[in-house]
Amino acid sequence: MTGPIQVLVVGFDRPTFSGEVLAEFTRLRDAGIVRLVDLLVVSRTEEGAFETLALPEGVEADFGDVAARVLGQADNAGEPMAQAGEPAAEAAEVDAASTWSLTDAIPVGGTAAVALIEHTWAASLSEALQRAGGTFLDETWLAREDRELLEALIADR
Amino acid sequence: MLLVPKQLRRVGMTGNVPYYGGRFSPAQAYGAAHPTAPPPSFADPMTAGGAFVRAPVPTAGQPTASVPTANRPDTEKALQHLLDTGVISQTEFLQLRSRVTQ
Repeated sequence: MTGPIQVLVVGFDRPTFSGEVLAEFTRLRDAGIVRLVDLLVVSRTEEGAFETLALPEGVEADFGDVAARVLGQADNAGEPMAQAGEPAAEAAEVDAASTWSLTDAIPVGGTAAVALIEHTWAASLSEALQRAGGTFLDETWLAREDRELLEALIADR
Repeated sequence: MLLVPKQLRRVGMTGNVPYYGGRFSPAQAYGAAHPTAPPPSFADPMTAGGAFVRAPVPTAGQPTASVPTANRPDTEKALQHLLDTGVISQTEFLQLRSRVTQ
């Protein structure tokens, strides 16, 4: 695995999927743009607990477990799912502002699909940035209004 | 299956953590703005509703607890040091100092 991995958390009122999103992931993977590494569907109860849900039809049968191990640990008899040397153990040592969890993203009573997406297109770019000594300052996405402004500016260019 | 979320590093595409240019991180800024707030507890997220419990943000006109008088000189000295070393701006210095002296 060489490309940067994005964690995409998408909320749903009801955990229903049309298959259109999965079809798009297939197209993007075939084009060498992104690859859906794993997919997890979770709900958060009114008490705040997280519970994994059945994956939608069309998703690979072995999906879900890897994402669950990366993003959390099973709450069964206190036995952690992750093995020794897991990133989370080191994460406890870094500034809290530089960490996150599903708790920050999914509201109480909510349901969300959590996708681990490898940006295969960005692998070589990311390595080039690191070799050039680039320092990560920030990363965000343009809002829809700003994208419209951008599109207008490009059209006038 | 019940799942207990883990704290993960928040990084960018290059794998580096955000750099705040020597200024306060969001958590540090919040801590400075709410000096009497208890530290967040991650001890038992299940019994705590799985949520990061923050102190309530004071509404306009609501009095905030002041720093004990005995600590004021040290606090003002620390703020002056932060200003001198460029960690906080003059505006932030004045805002924070006004809270100390309230």
